[in-house]
Amino acid sequence: MVFKSLSRTALFGVAIAACVAGQASAADPIKIGGAFNLTGGQASLDGPAKNGAQMAIDAINAAGGVNGRPLELVVYDGKTDPAIITSLASQLINSDKVSAVIGFSDSDPVLALGPTAQKAGVPFVAVGATSPKLPDQIGDHMFLACFGDNTQAAVGASFAITELKAKTTYVLEDTANEYATLLSKYFRETFEQLGGTVLGRDTYKTDDKSFAAQITKIKASAQKPDFIYVAATPDTIGLIVRQIRQAGLKQPIVGGDGYDTPLLLEVAGAAANNVYYTTHSFITETSTGAIKTFYDAYKTAYGTAPENAFAALGYDAAMLVADAIKRAGSDDPAKITTALAETKDLPGIAGAISYAAGSRIPVKGVTVVGVKDKALYKAAELVPTFVPAP
Amino acid sequence: MNSLEFTIQQIINAVSLGSLYAMVAVGLSMVFGILKMTNFAHGDMMMTGSYATVLLSALGVPFPIAIVAGIAVSALTGILAERIAYRPVRGAPDVTLLLTSLALTYVLENLAILIFSGSPRSFPTPDWMNEVFAFSDGAITFTSVDIISSTSAILSLLGLGWFVSHTTTGLGMRAAAEDMAAAALVGLDINRLIVIAFAIASGFAGLAGMLWAAQSGIIEPDMGFSPLLKAFVAAIVGGFGSIAGAVLGGYLLGALEILIVGFGPTELSPYRDAIVFALLIVFLLFRPGGIMQANREVKL
Repeated sequence: MVFKSLSRTALFGVAIAACVAGQASAADPIKIGGAFNLTGGQASLDGPAKNGAQMAIDAINAAGGVNGRPLELVVYDGKTDPAIITSLASQLINSDKVSAVIGFSDSDPVLALGPTAQKAGVPFVAVGATSPKLPDQIGDHMFLACFGDNTQAAVGASFAITELKAKTTYVLEDTANEYATLLSKYFRETFEQLGGTVLGRDTYKTDDKSFAAQITKIKASAQKPDFIYVAATPDTIGLIVRQIRQAGLKQPIVGGDGYDTPLLLEVAGAAANNVYYTTHSFITETSTGAIKTFYDAYKTAYGTAPENAFAALGYDAAMLVADAIKRAGSDDPAKITTALAETKDLPGIAGAISYAAGSRIPVKGVTVVGVKDKALYKAAELVPTFVPAP
Repeated sequence: MNSLEFTIQQIINAVSLGSLYAMVAVGLSMVFGILKMTNFAHGDMMMTGSYATVLLSALGVPFPIAIVAGIAVSALTGILAERIAYRPVRGAPDVTLLLTSLALTYVLENLAILIFSGSPRSFPTPDWMNEVFAFSDGAITFTSVDIISSTSAILSLLGLGWFVSHTTTGLGMRAAAEDMAAAALVGLDINRLIVIAFAIASGFAGLAGMLWAAQSGIIEPDMGFSPLLKAFVAAIVGGFGSIAGAVLGGYLLGALEILIVGFGPTELSPYRDAIVFALLIVFLLFRPGGIMQANREVKL
């Protein structure tokens, strides 16, 4: 409407007015849904992920958008609550009519949103949800921007054997969370496959604040484990590490990308020494190349260094969708899905993304981060030799 | 670690956990005793106090003072809740009070999300609270927070027991709990008694919240919800409305949870909460007055 009245006052002809109006609709933004848990237990992962995604969208728009149209990230807070996520799913798909959805760093919220997107035929790229079962559970419109848990669990196991010279482990897992139970399963499978022994296994629930009973059992274990593998979500890992150390257990603690949260160091403090976790990327001030550029841009935009690898994954997921829209040459969801599946060697901050034929999980290297003197360092970067089936 | 050391360590774990449940349950039970209402917003008093403490200590207030101030903030939240939300609907059907308290929970939690954001924050405890004590070659360990939780729970609960049986105000509260109309007829200031009950109950929640946060290391807007549910079970099992019952229920629940996870087979521990809530149902069905046979009828 604004463009129409502009064209009138400029005394252009009817044809030109129509032309301008046509251009206006072509310059309508292409909407991409951004589903993130900005509050609740997942907030320390999804907050940075959202920031990263928004940064990518802003960069694309500053460079002229995609196919001559700007991108718009329509963000909703899932509040780490499946009921809220289900309703925001229909909001994004049915009311906002987005062309694609990106979001979430955990498998449970993806399972809450995914079916709605799949049913409507809208592609959904999970930013940091690592369950390798997701694409098959949800359908052909579901993609991951990150590696699967079977890959990171395998790297965790082989890192423990080769670098920590470990032969035995004790596993503690969160039974209330899909990611943690799967991670634990893949880890145990690989560790035993590689010749290690799992001395014992115990469980807890996400909301627990005291792990004393379980830790006492680890201490009472007849054979001392060489390290403890804890499959945990970001909101509990800090306290588990602290309570394990307070109970006098000094073994290395190994886990997955759920540890990649500022809360690990904030809550556990010096107790976090000798903790190792597998994650997507390690971003610091001393990084080089594209990672350093990303680090600086993030710091300029948000006044803080990227909190964890999920900031990079959010950025990569938005770039992945933008690339697919560009190759599809359209905002039609079905065409974007086809283009996404054909993604090849797309450079990313957290590793290049290619989808092998028929797979919607990228094959990527895994970064192992260690903790020493209340600081993180890159302990290794590995591609696993054995990966358990999803 | 031999089996004796193992058992001693698990008993320490149980007492530490039970102390927290007991302190939350007592407040819940006190309010129920007088108003016959289940105060679902009780858990949020844990939250307001802890946030106040973190805020004050970030501003440079010494930690012990910040804790005392935090407990005061919890008590104040309780008083305000009573004044603003509960008093206007006093005398309405039980379900009205119940829904009001549920609404208040949402208001308080969302207010905290609005002001502080929903992300968990670390609760910065000073080093003396995290000191570890180790015995018999490190087989038995506990931290200063464990000692502080247990002693402050036991001392404050004993103090409360003395207060309700030896002071005029305490006796008045018990009279009001028994029959509010009769207590008013004999000249007791019911409003004052209820305000004091809320202040004490919320203060206890504040103290429990502080110890909870010190043990877990983080605070978040919905941090009070899970302890509230556990305290609710503890209060019912002990006898809803009875202070001694709530204490007993709290320690029993702590012991039961440690028993399931620490001594039961590993396959059983995921069902811990299911077992705890099944116990609640069993008590409601067969012994609604709880162990202390407090109220013959418990309305939820």
